[in-house]
Amino acid sequence: MAEVTTTAANTPTAESTPLLDATDLQIELITAHGVVRAVDGVSFTVRRGETVTLIGESGSGKSTTAMGVLRLLPEGLAVMSGSVRIAGRDVVADPGAARAVRGRTVSLIPQDPMTALSPVHTIGRQLGDALRLRHPGMSRTQARDKGVELLAQVRIPQPRTRWKAYPHQFSGGMLQRILIATALAAEPELLVADEPTSALDATVQASVLDLLMELQERTGIGMLMITHDLGVARLVSDRIHVMKDGRFVESGSAEDIVERPAEPYTRELLAAVPRLGAWDEDGDERTEPVAQGAAP
Amino acid sequence: MPTYLARRIGQSVLTVFLTLTTVFLLVRLAPGDPASAYAAPNATSADLARIREQFGLDDPLIVQYGLFLRDLFTGDLGTSYSFHSPALDVVLDRIPYTVTLAVSAIAVTTLVAVPLGVWMARRADTRRELGANVLTIAGQSMPDFWTGVMLLTVFAVVLPVLPASGFTSWSGLVLPTATVAVLQLALVSRLVRREMTTALASSYITVARSRGVRESALTWRYALANSAVPLVTALGTRFAALLNGVVVVEVVFGWPGVGSLVVRALETRDYPLIQATVLVTATLAILVQLLVDLAYPLLDPRVRLGKAA
Ligand SMILES: Nc1ncnc2c1ncn2[C@@H]1O[C@H](COP(=O)(O)OP(=O)(O)OP(=O)(O)O)[C@@H](O)[C@H]1O
Ligand SMILES: [Mg+2]
Repeated sequence: MAEVTTTAANTPTAESTPLLDATDLQIELITAHGVVRAVDGVSFTVRRGETVTLIGESGSGKSTTAMGVLRLLPEGLAVMSGSVRIAGRDVVADPGAARAVRGRTVSLIPQDPMTALSPVHTIGRQLGDALRLRHPGMSRTQARDKGVELLAQVRIPQPRTRWKAYPHQFSGGMLQRILIATALAAEPELLVADEPTSALDATVQASVLDLLMELQERTGIGMLMITHDLGVARLVSDRIHVMKDGRFVESGSAEDIVERPAEPYTRELLAAVPRLGAWDEDGDERTEPVAQGAAP
Repeated sequence: MPTYLARRIGQSVLTVFLTLTTVFLLVRLAPGDPASAYAAPNATSADLARIREQFGLDDPLIVQYGLFLRDLFTGDLGTSYSFHSPALDVVLDRIPYTVTLAVSAIAVTTLVAVPLGVWMARRADTRRELGANVLTIAGQSMPDFWTGVMLLTVFAVVLPVLPASGFTSWSGLVLPTATVAVLQLALVSRLVRREMTTALASSYITVARSRGVRESALTWRYALANSAVPLVTALGTRFAALLNGVVVVEVVFGWPGVGSLVVRALETRDYPLIQATVLVTATLAILVQLLVDLAYPLLDPRVRLGKAA
């Protein structure tokens, strides 16, 4: 590939160019019931080493924002305006820029782990592909060794034997960790994580968050995190944007938002969402409730 | 797996047997009399009775059926009334032609319909895709007789580049194949389009795209592999149907396959020949179906043989 890896790290302006800079991002979705403005003029910035969190009720536009940032919404059904600069390149204006940064500068941890992997390919094949895309010179065996290592990092038991297993042979929580491993395979500078711990039970959730934060400390990766859970948000975020109906109703440091919420909507979220670790009853198999219909 | 296979083979044998029994009864219960088909125009009723006796048709139905079964288990399907040779041999002589045409038509269909369907899925709802779509619908709605005669007129009469009839060289395969493929093409490419459209809109494609997987790999590796089960099912069903013979195409092109044989057997009320044809084609079709079923777990790891699919 002839793509120039214009990453923030090797340009002179590395420190001043944010990894992610969204300005007045607007996303309209063309649906069966007409045009929905799912994201309505939001602006935010993620610098290296930072975690910025979007929080909000179901249907508030968090996933649409995340997918828009990566330009992964279906072309023709989603109309974007404003700008999203990833390491300086505007992916809204230039589809080529989006293709160039995906799987290199930025990777995604998707929201629903159950449908995020191809059911007819082994996880090893999919994780190995991700590794070999990033390192074109890598042999299959090398990819396998590296992949097994990544699976061990996200605490998949017996990663070597599980390499040849198919997605349906894993629980939702394990799939989510496999997807985290796959996202990390790209060695990205920016990680977009859409509810990365929602399918995990409390202990695994804590250890995955630990893993991500340790990774961030070690590599200075920037994170755009999406969560329902203010407990998680507070733990990991530098800044929090509270989202409702496609807009940010309140933005500020993690501490300000959690300790001194200004908006009644934020206070409701605080009251409604249990603290970290309070949802482990149904354990590993927990899957995300359907997003539809919850919007006010 | 061995139990599954044993059960499936048992089911298959039973299916063929029931089909054969049904056909045995139906041809005899249907109005009409083979004796009059083979008697001289001025035959007396005594002549007819003698022919019936010779064909073993004067016995009660149950006795005929018993004798039929007894012979069946020794591999004897009787002597064809019109060919005067063992009915099974007559059919088996035709089988290579039918299989050749079926294999060739399915191969051409696959090689054209899969890329075409994929292309239509990728270009869904553009003007050119619409054009291709209309063409495939036209191909599907065109009677095979008409397609055959058109191709025959153009390539064997107007531009005499291909033989019009029979199978004397491999070029004789081209027009019958094309005629059969046009019909299959429409069905299969539209199926591929539908399956690929669904697959390409799946979440795992979007997620793979987020990893930097290229569009060509998303299409040909991820989406196509996920469409394999319905595709192989459709191709297997089409192939099995073609093994029963393609009557109209065989007649138009003078193709010496099972299809034209069936027509002749029915016209001449050649009971042993009808029965032998049914036995052979039903067995082949069921064999193909079995192979398709055995392929499922290879195509989709979630499928377990013997469990409800
Ligand atoms: N495929 C779609 N078809 C129709 N409407 C959609 C689609 N995807 C999203 N929307 C609408 O866009 C809005 C934002 O949805 P989005 O998925 O971004 O919310 P979310 O904040 O991620 O919710 P959740 O917390 O449940 O994941 C909602 O009103 C939703 O109904
Ligand atoms: Mg979401």
